[in-house]
Amino acid sequence: MNTDTLNVRNLRLGFRDHVSETQILHGISLRIAPEERVGLVGESGSGKSVTARAILGLVQMLRSARLSGDIEFEGRKLAELSPGRWQELLGTRMSMIFQDPTSSLNPVFRIGRQFHEVLRRAHPDIGFADSCSRANSMLSRVSITDPDRILHSFPFQLSGGMNQRVMIAMALANEPALLIADEPGTALDVTVQDQSLKLMHKLVGERRTSVLFISHNLGVVREFTERIYVIYRGRIVEEGPTSDIFREPRHAYTRALMAAVPRITRQGIPEIEDDHGEFLAPCEVHSPAGAA
Amino acid sequence: MPDTILGIHDLSKVFSLGRQRVHAVRGFSADIHRGECLAIVGESGSGKSTIANMILGVHRPSGGRILFDGVEMPGRRSLRHRRMIQLVQQNPLSSLNPRRSVGASLRLALDVHRIGDRAGRAGRVAELLDEVGLPRQYSSRFPAALSGGERQRVAIARALACQSELVVLDEPTSALDVIVQARILRLLNDLRASRGLTYVFISHDLAVVCNIADRVAVLRNGRLLELQDTGNVFARPGHPYTRSLIAASPVITPDEIALRETMREGEA
Repeated sequence: MNTDTLNVRNLRLGFRDHVSETQILHGISLRIAPEERVGLVGESGSGKSVTARAILGLVQMLRSARLSGDIEFEGRKLAELSPGRWQELLGTRMSMIFQDPTSSLNPVFRIGRQFHEVLRRAHPDIGFADSCSRANSMLSRVSITDPDRILHSFPFQLSGGMNQRVMIAMALANEPALLIADEPGTALDVTVQDQSLKLMHKLVGERRTSVLFISHNLGVVREFTERIYVIYRGRIVEEGPTSDIFREPRHAYTRALMAAVPRITRQGIPEIEDDHGEFLAPCEVHSPAGAA
Repeated sequence: MPDTILGIHDLSKVFSLGRQRVHAVRGFSADIHRGECLAIVGESGSGKSTIANMILGVHRPSGGRILFDGVEMPGRRSLRHRRMIQLVQQNPLSSLNPRRSVGASLRLALDVHRIGDRAGRAGRVAELLDEVGLPRQYSSRFPAALSGGERQRVAIARALACQSELVVLDEPTSALDVIVQARILRLLNDLRASRGLTYVFISHDLAVVCNIADRVAVLRNGRLLELQDTGNVFARPGHPYTRSLIAASPVITPDEIALRETMREGEA
């Protein structure tokens, strides 16, 4: 059996202030196989983004954070790596796409310069001309027809959809093993979001990248992922193949979440009961067909 | 013949940016009927918020007229005019004053518009909180201590304070989670029924719009492409652009997938 790209076991996280400790994650376990696209779905405050930040090692930099549990990336325990080695993985083997493309690019540098910086993380000796030609071919892969103009532009001169494509191209430029996409395109219009997700889908398929796709938008998650974890208040409440969970959601929280999504077939606005008791019921696991 | 509360005739807005002129809205006309929810949908930059701002009197129209109950609304609005149309914005965290408690924010709206007598206003604040489903003790809380959904309820209560009939809702739920969104949409629906309100609902989310609006106006580059009953828009979109918007909406049920497929076929 192959080593999982990512294996998170019993991740617990609390933040301590001078009076008390607030527990944010109550033992999150999740794994992503090579080439697998996995969704992490939940409402705001459920702990989705902080899980991503823990995987990237960003949470650990906060002095108030209390973290326990294992994060294993390609068979290596991240906690056992030196901070420098961990840092080296970021942008090379692991990369991330954030929600708002325009604010995650640096406004004072041209796209070409920023691309150079990204490529240099994996290839320290790469020259500017080389990186531009690499960037050029990456940008044309995300259906940008005039990559040279884009490379000479500043992020604020481009539309949100164009910046999002640039972000996708940059995040995949070093052929990472894992791409973490945190609410990609939520800040964009539906048509633009639709296009950029299709491009991302195509590209990660070609490059065999594993993806952790974080979102509260169930419709988008349904299209993009093969397997999902539903997170509620720092606990995984349901996991299984995407099609199974959408066909037959078992956990009370998952059902409430799905019922709340407005339908374009005009089903009206649902009545949502607040039932924390049921929502905190133990995790429901859909065993995948033919599981090893 | 439906009773028109707000008549919009050939409204346009041109912004001048240095030498450049941007036509944000080009000849928008619509009659908004009393008691209906009219949605204005479009992508960012389509001019939907500019229309909302002209209705509210924040922007002066470059051309065209806005009639409230048949009376023309002036470009510069008096207090009386402002009281007639209220607004709920997208992000309640930025539309509520962080230094003012919930009760004080609601009280301010009552004071400014001189609603009721001074003694009765404290009671009005409590009633407003009841109406939007918040506990009365929230009156002393500050916006930072509320969740996103609770803040939006406060913003709605404030819009109700001056008892105007027409409320402009500018993306009222796009900053909220689906579960909270469902609750706020329900509240808006209930209030519309109980108070006989009329809504202008600005949104880019067709799935939300199709469940709350009676009629939908589709806007692109400042132009009105179609204005129809909601059922018709989703069954027989009159414009290819509307079709492409429906085809791009994220969906989760088999029925929706089927509907979206028919839109995609029509597109090709």
